[in-house]
Parts: sequence; C-alpha cells; structure tokens
Amino acid sequence: MSKPYRLTCALFIFILQLAPFQILASEADSTIKDDHSSHFDYFLNSEKRGERLFKGLTRTPVEWQSCVSCHNINYIDTLNWNPSAKDIAGTFANKSIDEFRSVLMSPLGKKMEKSHKDYSFSDEELGYIKSYLQKLNNSVLYETKPKVNNLILFFFLGALITLALVDLFFTKKIKYKIIPVLIFIFAFGYQIQMLAEGAMALGRKQNYAPIQPIKFSHKIHATDNKIDCRYCHTTVDESKSAGIPHVNLCLNCHLIVREGTNSGKFEINKIHAAIENNTSVEWIRIHQLPDHVFFSHAQHANVGKRDCQECHGVVEEMHVLKQVEDLSMGWCLDCHDKTAVDFRENGYYSESFKELHEQLTSGAIDSVRVTDIGGRECARCHY
Amino acid sequence: MKKYWKSLTELKNKENSISDQPMPKGNLEQILDIFDKNENGSKSNRRDFLKLCGYSLAISTVVASCENSVQKAIPYLIKPEEITPGKANYYASSFAKGSDFCSILIKTRVGRPIKIEGNDLSTVTNGGTSSRVQASVLDLYDTSRYKNPLKENEKLLWEELDEFVRKELNRLKNANEEVVLLTSSVYSPSTISVIQKFIAQYPNVKWVQYDSQSYSALIQASKMCFGKAGIADYRFDYADIIVSFDADFLGTWLMPVEYIRQYAKKRKLSDGNTSMSQHIQLESRLSLTGSNADKRIPVKPSEQRLLLAQLYNEILKLAGKDTYTVLNTSGDMQGIAKDLWSHKGKSLVVSGSNDVNVQLIVNAINYELENYGSTLRFEKQLQTSKAIESDMKNLLEDMKAGKVKALLAYGVNPVFDYYKGDEFALALKKIGFTIALDEVPNETTSLMKFVAPDNHYLESWNDFEPKANRYSLMQPGIRPLFNTRQFQSSLLSWIGEDPDYLKFIKAYWEKNFYPMQNTYPNFVTYWNNTLQQGVFEPNLKSVSDTKFNYGGINNILDELAKQPKSKGIELQVYESIAIGDGKMANNPWLQEMPDPISKICWDNYLCISPKLASELMMETGDVVEVNSKVKLPVYVLPGQAYNTVAVAKGYGRQVCGIVGKNVGVNVNSLHNSSVDFIDNVNLIKTGEKYDLAMTQTHHSMEGRAIVREADLEEYKKNPAAGNESHHAYENASIYEKPKFPNHHWGLVVDLNSCVGCGACSIACQAENNVPVVGKKEVIRAHEMSWIRIDRYFSGDEFNPDVSFQPVMCQHCDNAPCENVCPVAATSHSSEGLNQMAYNRCIGTRYCGNNCPYKVRRFNWFDFTKADSIPNNLHDVAEMTIDLKRMVLNPDVTVRAKGVIEKCSLCVQRIQEGKLNAKIKGRKVKDGEIKTACEQACPSGAIIFGDLNDKESKLVKETSSKRNYHLLEEIHTLPSVSYLTKIRNKKMNHS
Repeated sequence: MSKPYRLTCALFIFILQLAPFQILASEADSTIKDDHSSHFDYFLNSEKRGERLFKGLTRTPVEWQSCVSCHNINYIDTLNWNPSAKDIAGTFANKSIDEFRSVLMSPLGKKMEKSHKDYSFSDEELGYIKSYLQKLNNSVLYETKPKVNNLILFFFLGALITLALVDLFFTKKIKYKIIPVLIFIFAFGYQIQMLAEGAMALGRKQNYAPIQPIKFSHKIHATDNKIDCRYCHTTVDESKSAGIPHVNLCLNCHLIVREGTNSGKFEINKIHAAIENNTSVEWIRIHQLPDHVFFSHAQHANVGKRDCQECHGVVEEMHVLKQVEDLSMGWCLDCHDKTAVDFRENGYYSESFKELHEQLTSGAIDSVRVTDIGGRECARCHY
Repeated sequence: MKKYWKSLTELKNKENSISDQPMPKGNLEQILDIFDKNENGSKSNRRDFLKLCGYSLAISTVVASCENSVQKAIPYLIKPEEITPGKANYYASSFAKGSDFCSILIKTRVGRPIKIEGNDLSTVTNGGTSSRVQASVLDLYDTSRYKNPLKENEKLLWEELDEFVRKELNRLKNANEEVVLLTSSVYSPSTISVIQKFIAQYPNVKWVQYDSQSYSALIQASKMCFGKAGIADYRFDYADIIVSFDADFLGTWLMPVEYIRQYAKKRKLSDGNTSMSQHIQLESRLSLTGSNADKRIPVKPSEQRLLLAQLYNEILKLAGKDTYTVLNTSGDMQGIAKDLWSHKGKSLVVSGSNDVNVQLIVNAINYELENYGSTLRFEKQLQTSKAIESDMKNLLEDMKAGKVKALLAYGVNPVFDYYKGDEFALALKKIGFTIALDEVPNETTSLMKFVAPDNHYLESWNDFEPKANRYSLMQPGIRPLFNTRQFQSSLLSWIGEDPDYLKFIKAYWEKNFYPMQNTYPNFVTYWNNTLQQGVFEPNLKSVSDTKFNYGGINNILDELAKQPKSKGIELQVYESIAIGDGKMANNPWLQEMPDPISKICWDNYLCISPKLASELMMETGDVVEVNSKVKLPVYVLPGQAYNTVAVAKGYGRQVCGIVGKNVGVNVNSLHNSSVDFIDNVNLIKTGEKYDLAMTQTHHSMEGRAIVREADLEEYKKNPAAGNESHHAYENASIYEKPKFPNHHWGLVVDLNSCVGCGACSIACQAENNVPVVGKKEVIRAHEMSWIRIDRYFSGDEFNPDVSFQPVMCQHCDNAPCENVCPVAATSHSSEGLNQMAYNRCIGTRYCGNNCPYKVRRFNWFDFTKADSIPNNLHDVAEMTIDLKRMVLNPDVTVRAKGVIEKCSLCVQRIQEGKLNAKIKGRKVKDGEIKTACEQACPSGAIIFGDLNDKESKLVKETSSKRNYHLLEEIHTLPSVSYLTKIRNKKMNHS
C-alpha cells in the first residue's frame, strides 16, 4: 500500500472514530432548518422549547430543580441512580400525556416526591418536554465513552518514525545520527508493544462495566440485604452456566418490594413491565469466555468449592458490575497450578489415583494440585 | 494371509491407478495460480506480497484498537421448571416415517432438539438406531418445510382453510361423491381411530394405504397360508441358520434396526461363546446383508424362485413327503436343504421378493422346517407395513376414470415413487379438490390445490404399535417452529371435534391400554410413567394358531418349472441404505453418507458385474442409457451377479429443498414394483464420463493386516486364529511412556458384530458438528467424517468376501501426530486421549500427513459459519443458515477454516460423565459414559470404557485373544482396538 493512500486511510478512520455522530447530528439539524425557516419558529417549536425546559434554561421557580440535574442526557462516568433522560423517554414513548403528567406532578415514590415537590407545569409545557424526550428516544447517544487515545498515539508514533527515517536518510538535519535512530527504536518498539497488548486484550474485557438495562446493584442485594449468590444464580452447582436469574425469580421479593432506596420505583418497575408485557430483559453480558472454551460452574463452584469472588471479584461491593479478572488462559492456568484438589473427601478422587494417594500419605507431597491431575491439559476445556 | 483390495482399479492396475490422473488442485495451488497469471511478473508478485503485508498491518492496528462487540445475555422471563441452561433434557419419543420406525430419546438443549438417541427400554429396537433416524433431527430445521397453510401457493389462515375444507367435504358427502384419503401405512392406534371417526363422519371417504416399498406379498401370503394377514415377527436371534433370498434385512428390509440387533446377538463371541449362526445369502446385487453373509451365492433375480422351489422340494424329500419330480436340484440347494433340515425349528428362510407365489413357497418351507413359533412368530406381528399394492392400482384406475372427486394425501409421494408416477400426476391434476397434509413440499404436494402442513415428528404427539402389543409414544421435543398443525388435528377439526390430539390420545389410552396393566393404580401415574419411558409393552399371551392350510403350492411349482430361463440382462431397483425411498433426500448428512458397499455418496449409479462390464467394455464412471429412458453412471460392483444390473431409487428428486434437488437420477419409471426385477434390459454406452464421489480409494491401507479374520472352525481350535502377529515391544519410543493415573479411555470395535450400516457415522456427525462438504469436495477427498467405515474386499472379484471396519482416531499413546505439530495443538492427556485444540492449530497439516490411520480431517473452508469472513464460506448443506445451525451441539466447538479436526472420543461426554461422578462423589461407573457412535450402534459393536478399570466390559473384551490394534508394527500404541472377524463358512453338508 502506498504511503499517501495509507495516510488517507488512517485519516479517514480517525475521523470516523471521532465524529460519526456529529456528522449525523448536523445533517438532522439542517433538515429541521429547512422545515422551519424563521429563526423565531426554531426556538418556539416544541422540541426546542421542551429541551430548554428540561435543561432548566427557561424561567421556572427557583425551588424547582431542572430535570437535567437528576436525569442525565449525555453519557456520564459516575453512577446515577436516577433514570437518564433516555430511559424516561423510552418508558413514556407510547404513553399518553395524562400518564406522563400524573407521574411527573404527583409522584408516588418517596425519593421522587422530594425532588418533584410543587411541580406545576402546564399541559402545554409537558407536551413540549415529552416531544423533546421523543426526539431523544429516536436519536443515538453515546453508550460508552469514546476512546481514541491509543489510536492517536499510534499514528503519532508512526509520524515520528517517518520523520526520523526521513531525516536519517535524506534531510540529515540532526547532527547526531544516534538521535533519529533512538527515536525510531523507541517509537517503533512502543508501537509493537501497543499492538501486542491490543491483540492480547482482544476478546478480553477486563474492567468492562457496561450500563445495564436495569440499574441492578449487587451491593444492595448481596451486602445490604444479605441475599446469597445461589438464591438467584440457582444452577451454579449443577450446570455449566450459573444462570442469570429468570425475571420471575426477581418477583419473589419484588412483588412486595416495589421501591428502592436509591433508584426509587423506576428501575423496579422495569421488572413488572417485563412480566406484564411479556418482553425479555436484555442484560449486557460481561463475563464471557470464547466459544472454544468450555468452562463449567458446577466443576468449580460445586466440586472444586471455589468462592464466586475468586473469579468474579468482590461482586457484593459493586453497584455496577465489572469484570475484575481478564479471564485469560494464563490466569486460568495460574489458578490450576496453585489450587489444591479436595483429594481425600470427594469419592471420585479418593477411590482412584493410587500413586498420588501413596505419595500423600508418605508425605512426599503435601497436597495434590489441579495441575497434578491433568489440569493443564487441552481437552479439559477445549473440545 | 488373504489378499485385500479396496476397489477394482486397485486390484487390476496397481501401477498407474493414481499417478495417471491429474490431481485436483488444492486451495494453495489455486491461490498461486493468481500470482502466475502475470507470466513474467515475478517482481510484481513480491510487491503484491508486500502490499498484503502492509495491509494486514494496518488492519491489525485498526482491529486491535476496536471495542469488543456487545453481547446480550437474555434470561427466561419465567423459566420452565425442567430446563437448566447448560444441561440437556431427554424426552422419550418415537421416530416414524412411513414404514421406518424407531423408539428414540430426543436430546434437547434449552428446548431445542439437537440429537436423537436410541431408547433402551424398547424391546423392538433395543436402543439401536439407523442412519436415517440419526439424521432426522436435521429435517426439523429444514428450510424447505411448509411454513403456512396454502391455497394454490397463497398463504391463508387455518380457520379459512378449515372452513373451506369442511364445506367442500360436506358438499361431496351430500352428493355422495368418492373422496380418497391416501396415506402411508398407519400403525398408530390413535391415528387409526381418528381416521375411523373421520370416515364415520364422511362415509364417502375411502382410505387407501400406499407404501413406496410394498410388502403386500408377505401380507397376502400369510393370509393365504395361515388365514391371518400380516407380517410375521422374525427372530434372527433364534435362528442357527439363516437363508435369505435377496432380503436385505440388515439394510432396508422391514425393520433393519431390530434385525441387526438380533443378528449380531446370535453371532457375538464374547464371554467364551463359540457358537454363532450361519448366514447364507442368495442375491444378485451385493447388498449390505449379502456382504455380511458367511456364504453368498450370486444368482439372477429370475432364478431365485426356481431355487426356492428346489429348496422346498429337497426339504420335502428330507421330510419324507411327496416330492415334485419336475425339478432338478442343484448341489448348492441340496446342501442348504440338509443344513436347514438339521437345524429344524432353529432355522429361518426369508425372501425379499414381492411376489406372492415366492412368499407362499417361503412360508411352506418355514412350515416344513417347523420354524413357526420359534424363529417366526405371530403373536407380535410386525405392523409397520400394511399397504396392499392392488389398492393403489385400483385408486389410479378410479382416478383416471374420474370417479375420485377429492384426494387427501398424507405422508406419501406417489408422483415421485410410484412406478406409474406420471400417470398419477396427470390423474391428480384432474381431481377438483386435492389437499396435501405433508410437512415438506414434494412432487405430489406441489400438484395439489391445498396444503395443510403437518408438524415435523419432533413437534408432534402420537402413538405407535410397530409390533402387536408393543406400543411406543411420540412426544414433541419442541413447539412447532412454523404455522403447522398435526395431520390428526386437521382431521379432527374437519369433523368438528376438539383438534387437541394429545387429549384424544390420552382418552384412547385410558380406554384401551390402561386396563391392560395393573402396575399403576390410576391413569395419571400410568400415563406419566409410560410417557417418561416412551414404551408400553404389556405382557399378553396370545397363542396364535399357525396351521398351514394352503393347497396351491403344487400349481405354483408346476408353473415355475415351465418358465423358460431368462437370458437377458436383469435390472433390480433397490432402496439405498442412506436415502431409502427418497423422502429424506433433502438431508445433507444422508446425502453425504457413503453407501456401505460402493462408498459412493451424492449419487445413484448402475451397479454392474465385473464380467458384464468387461464384456460391454465399461468401467466405473461411464454413462450408459438404460432402456433408452434414463442415463446413469456405471459402477462396477464386485459380487454383482453376471448379467444383472441394479440401481438405487429415491434419487433425482425434482420438488425438494436445494440439497436434494436433482441429486442422482429418478429411476422409478424403470421398474414395476409388483415385480422384483425387469428383464431384457438394454444398456447403451453413451461415451460420456461422470465423476462419482467415492470415499473408497482415498484411504488404501496398502495390503497390511488391517482387518484380521478367521473361520469359526479355526477359532474354536485356537481363539487367536488369524490374530497371530503381535508387536512385542512394551515401549520402543524415544519418549517416556505416558502414565494414566486415573482413567485410560479406550474403545473396542467388534468386527464380528459390525454390519457396516453407518448409523455411527451419522450419529458422530450430529454429535460433533461435523460439516457436510458436498460432492465436489468429496471427489477431492476432503470429506470430514470423524468415523469412516472402511470396506475391504478379499478373494474372488466375482463373489468377494467383504469386511467392514469403522476407523476413528486411534488415540495412540505414542502418537505420530503429536510430535510433528509445530505449535503443540495436538497433545496427549493423562487420560489417554489424543487431544486437539482447534484454536491453537495453524493448519500445517503435518499431523494429518503423519497419521498412519488417516483419520485427521482438514477444514478447507468454513462450512458452518464459524467465523465471519464471507469468502471462507462453502455451504452446500445450508448449514450457515441460522435455522439449520440450531442443530449444532453447543458442547462442541464449531470449527473454522484452516484447522485440523478428528475424533475426540466424545470428550464432551467424558467430561460430563466425570463431572456427574464428581458431584456425587463417586467413581465413574462402567457404561455410564457412552460415545455417540456406541450409543447409535444397533449391533453393539462399539464399546467405550476405561482401560484402567479391570472390571469394565471394555477390558473384558480387550483381554480376549481376538483383540488387536491397527498397525501394531509401527508402535503407535493405540487406545482403540479391534476384535477379529469370525466367519462361519463351513457348511455341514455341502
């Protein structure tokens, strides 16, 4: 591939990474402009007016909090227990304005009651807000923080290498040849390292903590309310899969517990809505091994008696679930090397492996580790 | 040692068989061709290479900085109680397609059927399966299935259809016009009851049963001889001597799954048993049954009736009764008659003929031999074939005459498989109201005005009575995938009753079958338990009168003696093992299953005897015109009787999904199903050539002692007969001998039990996601089967001995493949498994080259959409379509392009079995883990187990003197071993 072509290619990708939504957004804006030619109309049209109301940009009584102060519009890093603007938009998309008003003006939950106190929007204003939300619902928002740093750095290093080489062979501006050579070695080495790291991290998701469709907190459930992991993840002892609890299981408690301390009613209502509307809850999968790995929870949690936290981290401390370990094969094998097998208690092991038992009783070895009984073999996990 | 040869080319010209043919080009060569286009462009090649390098660097950069795709995890809203994600559920059910029947277990994963296994509780099929049963699960996900009720190919609602049909039926009823319900043989008690109700409501309905393979001669002969129509319960496990005249009872005749079990049981030499049955086969085409026979006599189809008559005469002579002097008996027949007579009451004579006269003689012979009550029984008559051929003939006449005003067809395809299919099609078009009740479009349904699509059997409720008083339930493994409805429900709703067929079955069982037992105190427990077991087999003693009273044998014999001997070429149309009558032609697994004898897949062909071939100057691959009607490629089949040819039916489907469409040639126009063969066939060589996809010449074992065999007499004297040469070294490797601290998994194949039916290979394909590669790739020797059945001929080419040998990865303890892998993708486990890590494999194929057994397969393409690169795809079987991919086993990796794969000894099942034992804190029990091939095998020829467990069945078998390993001399130390084949050749009297 020729150099100019490569450069164009890189630039194109760069722009694509940075600005796809801006490009889209500007297109959308321009169509609106066509529809409403006058400047005045543009600000008075329902969506714009709704947006100003939502963001608190118009005159409202001082004691009212603007919607946006609780219901974020853009992606935010921190945990926000309140539903985001988009969440609300989705929920009320197909509901009537009356319902919208009744929820907004006479809230039922304690938390909402506090902040929505004394709200008195006119029907017209409510309509504006709703149509703004409608627009939000149809537009695409960032779901994750865009990351381009690595790519910029990579291309910057590439430019540096080019410059260094150009100077080394053609322009020869720098007196000491060692400097461009050093620059080349450093930059190229760093690029290689970036590539290697990037390639290794491919398919792994360490520290992955996506926004879930329901703001479910393991901390509240497992620590504050002391619910055992196995109460929800029922099949962990008998099956490969620990089992994501089916929605009906949530109702065991949430039939009665209708309001949460942090999130109010909005999140819990999603469970009821799913059951009522017969729609599934589409969780974002976090811990995922590649298709050619056959991991069994029953083997590890039941037979091996491992704690959930050994692989999943301190889940009971997490409001937003995160993948703590990288779940790489090296990480698996490290544990297989270190972990002792329940060799005397479990009948499967105690009744066979004669030689190892002899060594155990004679004291030649102090414990049998997973590796010793084939825990590093391919076909234990790959078949 | 005997000289084995795998094909005639190998036998005849060893030097120039392979080197003369231009080898097909491989992928790499094709890629290199692109570079070679520019003849003087060596420079540009290098540039292209550099371009590629630069491009891949850029791609990898971009890819490396990409985010992972977002995966969803969607739990059940309300989880069904019995489903545990990650674990399989099994439901007892039945497979039934026309006359094919099998009691089965459906393996489902989260409500999705993925595998069929045999039901051990059935005394009919005894846990055995056939290749068609194994493959039937793929038909559930067939893309060509009807998805809606149709009216002249326009979608309509069930309510609209029902209303229309009811109106039409009532109109015809009032006008008293004839309506015909055409079905295949119905042996479901509840369905019969539904049909009877339907007829009671519409008395103008005439019910006609039609089977593509008719056994009406058997049924009628039984009626004429014993006053009881039906097919006797054959017991090959009670017969010391079996004489079969062209009955392929191990392949396609009546109930092969049952017969293979019985046959193999009588011939097993385990536990110090030294007796086995003797099997004599007289036939023209080398069938699967013939290839297993101890003595096979090639005869023309036309000669068989005369031979039977001679046999009858000889037996009468031995019985001291009046004989017929008109018949001169050949020496063979005299000997056979004496052998039969000396095993009176423990012998069995069967004939595959559909000629009533022939079957009458067979009955008379068996009666004289006192076989009724021992090897032939009447209390458990076979019910799977009921159709009487003349019914169909009459129906066609009625249709032509315009008497039939409406036709309802279910489970039949006469336009394709009836020998007067064309006439049937013409007559069908004339009928005003036609409605098809099939699940997939076929030649017949495409001519019908309405389609009321039936469910697939894995979506249906039903019950069956394959043999009298042997009941088997069918329960669904999944809800209907499409907007279809069961045939029975359709009939029920057309007579205005509750269309809930399950309710109907339950009511029927409560009334009729529940009183037949006293184990369960109420119907609910009875029903639930029976449903769980899948079968209900009450103990009923019904003594049937087997008094032979037919006096017309004299006339038949007289007539036979007068018939002139035919001189021309005779043609036989037979059912192939894989495709059968063609109903499952759209199943790619079956299409790619090589025929056990010819090892040809994806085609039918004209089998011709070597002598006739040399006379007509023909060789395999030549295209001939048969009777100026059809063009067929020739296959020179050793063992085919001189002056006879044979061809498989069921091929050449026209209205069918894309897999089976136009595969092979439809030959139904060639034959007349009431006659076993046609005479004076005219063969004209066209000069054209045709490529047949053969798997046979690719794995030649170069004349080493691969199959070891001995005669029963030798075996009795010395159990190690034929198995003398053994490799003595304990460890001659430069590597340390591996240790097996706990398990040492192994497999033993009893060559004496294996009949070569191929059920194991399809089971393996289903279990292990083995891809289908298509005809072209098979021709290039790229087939992927993990377990192949090698077939060796030995001896005379005009009547060879045949040996079958299933070969899978031998799991060598000193594996040649392991030490040549540059990336350690294949290695040995401490449990004796030769492991294959697909994601480590870089596709050098060194292992495949170094494997002496040639069991390693390379993925030349991405057959099952394992990766997302579209150019890698090669899909002949629609296996990249999501609907069909539902059949994939989630416990086995779907392999991508460029990796080697091979038999893993079903390591996923081993891991599951071990885990179950660990959870319960006990050792793995012997027999607890079964590989897919072992599970499917109807003859019990394959035994899997732990070689370290000295009490296991496996160790008992492997410590037998008959045990040997393949190619011991190269010191691979396989974990798979074989037991020698023993033939019972010695005839007592001939």
